[in-house]
Amino acid sequence: MNFIIAVFTQTFRNLFQTWSAQLLTLITITLSVLIFAFFYLIYTNVQHAGQQLDDDLRLVIYLDEEPAEEMQEEYRKKIVKFDKVERIEFVSSKEAYGRFAAQLEEDRDVLEDMPRDFLPPSIEVYPVRSLDTLTKIKRFSDYLVSLPGVLKVQYGREWVERFYTFVKLLRIIVFLSGSLLILTTTFMVANTIRLTLLSRKDELELLRLVGASTHYIRLPFFLEGALQGFIGSAAGMAALFLLFNWIKLRFAVSSIFQLFEFTFFPFPVVIAIIVISSLLCAGGSFSSTRKFLQL
Amino acid sequence: MNSQSNNSRYMVDLVKVSKIYLPDIQALTDVSLSVNRGEILFLIGKSGAGKSTLLRLLSRMDKQTKGVVEVDGHDLSKIAGGKLQRLRRNIGFAFQDFKLLPDKTVAQNIAVAMEVSYTRSSVIRMRTKKLLHHLGLADKYNTPACELSRGEQQRVSIARAVANNPGLILADEPTGNLDRETTQLVMDLFRKYNERGATLVIATHDESIYRDTDHRIIELREGRIVNGHPAPEPDHAFADRMDEEQGSPEEDDLWMSDQ
Ligand SMILES: Nc1ncnc2c1ncn2[C@@H]1O[C@H](COP(=O)(O)OP(=O)(O)OP(=O)(O)O)[C@@H](O)[C@H]1O
Ligand SMILES: [Mg+2]
Repeated sequence: MNFIIAVFTQTFRNLFQTWSAQLLTLITITLSVLIFAFFYLIYTNVQHAGQQLDDDLRLVIYLDEEPAEEMQEEYRKKIVKFDKVERIEFVSSKEAYGRFAAQLEEDRDVLEDMPRDFLPPSIEVYPVRSLDTLTKIKRFSDYLVSLPGVLKVQYGREWVERFYTFVKLLRIIVFLSGSLLILTTTFMVANTIRLTLLSRKDELELLRLVGASTHYIRLPFFLEGALQGFIGSAAGMAALFLLFNWIKLRFAVSSIFQLFEFTFFPFPVVIAIIVISSLLCAGGSFSSTRKFLQL
Repeated sequence: MNSQSNNSRYMVDLVKVSKIYLPDIQALTDVSLSVNRGEILFLIGKSGAGKSTLLRLLSRMDKQTKGVVEVDGHDLSKIAGGKLQRLRRNIGFAFQDFKLLPDKTVAQNIAVAMEVSYTRSSVIRMRTKKLLHHLGLADKYNTPACELSRGEQQRVSIARAVANNPGLILADEPTGNLDRETTQLVMDLFRKYNERGATLVIATHDESIYRDTDHRIIELREGRIVNGHPAPEPDHAFADRMDEEQGSPEEDDLWMSDQ
């Protein structure tokens, strides 16, 4: 018990004495957590967004002739062979005509002179709505075109491709900012601790001479690192939460927000980010004290 | 006393100890010396004779080049880690260069020695106040160490050395910067701790503190003991008395009681 009190006293004394260096480290940690969590938040939301894309994620396969019953079964098999899909719908020329007419509403009389089967029959494929599918959709389309009797395959190509590059970019950014987070937290903390160690060289020397235990010397630095990580990451997450709500309010009416439902991290993810940052910082300080004190 | 008192006969036992500082400074040569538990030993000799070197060996700040150094029954060349740390907590060292932390207050400097034993802060405060009061520094409790005079710093380093009630007190030139009266205060303090059972080794060339003493005086000259009285037979009666006192946690002595 006395040991714990002694260690905490020591820790807070250190923090108090070197607060300017501590503050700098804290700000760095907060910023890197904020940057990482920001991109990670976008990434997770975009990933969910895939599920809300619905019809935009439909591939339409135009056929040169109406497929017979067994032919439909054949197509179904071949499509499923490539990837799991949510649903496959066959649209005959007549049904296509009907839909078109319905879309035209008042102006449907322009179709009057056209034959009922002037639109080609088609197969509508609804892939499983996930980000994974999105990244594969081009290959899927290429595969479908190669099937016999297929005239052409249509999907929201431009949109999908743009979305795909965006997601790819996001993935890189998340990866980079994650690495940045790891580097800054461990490095900055290790460095601050090293500076503290240097500035307190005499004191540490004296502590050893009067018989301080290894834990008594080292634990305060460990706690200091963990505390920096905890406070820094908690502040970063709080800042992100505020930013998130502000953006949500500000752009509530804009179209992107109509399209996706933006949500903040679930609570366990927030906790996980804070815990991981704390551990990283504690680890940084631990390694730095080991090197310096040669314990 | 926080010694987990070993049952070895001597508190300090040196056998043919030599210390050579690289490249070839022979600081100590074949020093054999035993100090009984509860003894006060004066270590005298000219500047450069090797007094500080000997004390540093006793706290393992330095390692001997040859010979055996035993403190409280531990062979210092074989001790490390937790054991060494515990042993050091039972040694109070008043360094010749004080080793005070200049930015810390007097009280904080003294507290360091007790904090490493996880002493309660109320006890630390109490002991610190008593020590400062005794050494005539009562009004310096919150003064940063760097603002003290040399003599004041010296007294603070002595207070720190004794604060943890160590079983062995090593004092290197403890009165070098003090006037006659203050020297007396310091020697009184040492005597009190000795009466409570502490063993003292005092390195000094201040003749006034050992002139009339009936304690043992060892003179070093160029790293050798020149007036080699063998150690008196260990005082078993003393050791028994100490064991009894350790049995009761009550500290009735004014200087060490925590009340
Ligand atoms: N770290 C060191 N490196 C090299 N030589 C040293 C070192 N420390 C002490 N010496 C040498 O060892 C010898 C003994 O020094 P020591 O400090 O033990 O003397 P001392 O008796 O304490 O003297 P003083 O009364 O001046 O304090 C001296 O010649 C000194 O120069
Ligand atoms: Mg000396």
